[in-house]
Amino acid sequence: MAGILIVEDEKDVREMLRDALIRRKYSVIEAVNGKEALAKFKASFINIVITDILMPDEDGLKVIMKLKELKPDLKIIAISGGGKFGPAGYLNIARTLGADEVFTKPFSLRELEKKIEELLDAGKQI
Amino acid sequence: MTVEKNYIDKHLYDHLINNSRSMLSVINRNYCYEKVNNTFCRYHNIQPENILGKSLADLWGEDTFKENIKENIDICLNGNIVRYEANFQIPLYGERFFEVIFRPLPDEEGNVTHLLAETVDITDLKITQRAISEMEEEFRRLETHLPIGLLRCKPDGTIIHYNKAFSDILENTENENLEGLNIKDFYREKTIFDVQIMHAADGSISTFKRVPLITFKGREIRCRVNIYVVTEKDTKNPLYADFAFEDSTREIMLEHRLLQAKNIETIGSLAGGIAHDFNNILSSIFGYSEMLLEEIKDNQEGTEMVGKIIRAVSKARELTNQILTFSRQVGQEKIPVNICDLLDEAVSFAESVKKPNVSIEKNFRDRNVLVYADPTQLFRVFMNLIMNALQAMENTGGTLTIVQERINGNQFQSESGKSIIADEYTVISFEDTGTGMEESVISRIFEPYYTTKDVGKGAGLGLSVAYGIITELDGEITVKSVKNKGSQFKIYLPLADSLPLEEIAPFAERSRVLFICGGSHELKVLGSALEKSGYAVDYAIDIDGLIKLSGDEDAKPDVIIFSQDNENISSDILSEYMIEKNIDIPVVLITDSSYDLSKEKLLNSGIAKNVLFKPVSLREILTSIQISLNK
Repeated sequence: MAGILIVEDEKDVREMLRDALIRRKYSVIEAVNGKEALAKFKASFINIVITDILMPDEDGLKVIMKLKELKPDLKIIAISGGGKFGPAGYLNIARTLGADEVFTKPFSLRELEKKIEELLDAGKQI
Repeated sequence: MTVEKNYIDKHLYDHLINNSRSMLSVINRNYCYEKVNNTFCRYHNIQPENILGKSLADLWGEDTFKENIKENIDICLNGNIVRYEANFQIPLYGERFFEVIFRPLPDEEGNVTHLLAETVDITDLKITQRAISEMEEEFRRLETHLPIGLLRCKPDGTIIHYNKAFSDILENTENENLEGLNIKDFYREKTIFDVQIMHAADGSISTFKRVPLITFKGREIRCRVNIYVVTEKDTKNPLYADFAFEDSTREIMLEHRLLQAKNIETIGSLAGGIAHDFNNILSSIFGYSEMLLEEIKDNQEGTEMVGKIIRAVSKARELTNQILTFSRQVGQEKIPVNICDLLDEAVSFAESVKKPNVSIEKNFRDRNVLVYADPTQLFRVFMNLIMNALQAMENTGGTLTIVQERINGNQFQSESGKSIIADEYTVISFEDTGTGMEESVISRIFEPYYTTKDVGKGAGLGLSVAYGIITELDGEITVKSVKNKGSQFKIYLPLADSLPLEEIAPFAERSRVLFICGGSHELKVLGSALEKSGYAVDYAIDIDGLIKLSGDEDAKPDVIIFSQDNENISSDILSEYMIEKNIDIPVVLITDSSYDLSKEKLLNSGIAKNVLFKPVSLREILTSIQISLNK
């Protein structure tokens, strides 16, 4: 089964994502910030990373850059709910840095799950 | 003894005459010099023996003598004293100014046989006089052009003298003569004048800030006033008072605005922070609701209840989005927008919903004005101001006047107090004749959740969102209002052609977008924005339009934008048709926050790739289209 790394400092959001993805039978690893995400990342195991953008200790933009370096075909979904440049602003930057998909909080779980499936399908085809 | 005395007298006279500062000469009726003093000889650089017996024509030349001298001498020889000023060349000193006096010298019988010519060098005097008059002129010019109102008045306030700036400050547009009027009559409180005089009576300069005055037009202004009282030397009684008036109305306005902007900024970052945290909380409510929906999918009553939770989340998201817009935490996708076209669109919508007792007048002075903005956001700002104005007039009736014009950067700066970022700006004024607002309301009008409307008539976010949008565009929004007379909102925006042209979001290919929607003005604005962003845009109002276009290879859309504002086509019909005909075109769904099952079907079927909640920004729609096309 595909492995998903969730990087999110907000406990409620992180747990919601974990619960939802476990229901879909994915293997889930959680990280509370970018630093922990980089430490827990296993290239062989993780197919998709879902990362928040604004976090203390290594933000999501750094996570995206570093993980794309480690594993260029890794699929990354960025999520954000605001901040200095606004959700849209951050997400545009995330996209430029290599995020495959961006979501603005609050997002529809259904849409997120659909996107995960699509990204995984696309990954298999390659 | 007599001889000696005569000798001394004569010697003394000679001495006096020769050492006089005036040139002295005695001239006879033949216009010849009979006597000259040393000063005369020195000025003319000539020895006495070379001039005595010579005529004036010999010394001055025939022409000068005839033209300038002879006539005066003749008058004198007829018994009159002649006095005139002349300038002429003198061998030793060059051109000098002189006062010339001819006095008749009668003989013992009273016949004028000679005249005494006295010529006084008044060059230094002339130079001093000229310098004084130049200084006077300079001072007068300064007084006239100085932007400070100068006034001299008697201790009782009677105006003695004033300059143009003073007259201007009092808005004396009819140029009424103020001399003799009393300055106290322009003070809102007359006693302040007496206090000021008393204060300054010790001879010091006293300054009073923000003194309220009433102008000729009845307008209240605030002035900084400096006073200096001139007193009589001995008695110390005040003779008159000199005033300098500076209009500080603008200074106070700017100070006030700065304070207001700071205030809004503080509220903005607070609200933005809350909105951010709130979006996280909403994420988990939204997510668990969707999971719950799956858990209970056979329980219809439960499904409806969870549907209501999701609807509430959507509403909350709309709200946090507005707050983020106000606190300028939502970036805007900017394209060149024709302001007047956008205003036309907003007005025509307002025309369709307004009551008959109010009218809208447009006066667009420069239709070719472009600004960089997200047209959907700007449309919301215009709609908000127009609807507010209509609401303010709904009981009394009235007129909303919308004036658009082009102004230069300096005018923008002087009216808004903000720094200039473009050479030219456009200003759009929305002026209504409605209920107006109190001063206390005006100062807080742009704060979020500040509303004077009845509960249910508005959340109080509209103007704060407008503020956020306009400020993000480096523009400014201002308000003036008089209770029971009406309000005026002004929006200033930098012109696009005077801004450095930034690259607009580039698109690799020219994709076709099909709008399936009703006649919503907001979507029309969105559609034309997409066209300007490089898309080919088609519109369909019903399923036939879709059938026609999707059958034609050349016109086949790459993306469908479906808005549920349309009576002709429901999401059920659309999804059924697309499944039946096996049409594989991604759909972006634009919806309000209501939750219904047919929308669910559209999403579940996989036809709708993306769902956007109204109001939709250009950036949102562009992102959704890109996502839909990317896959």
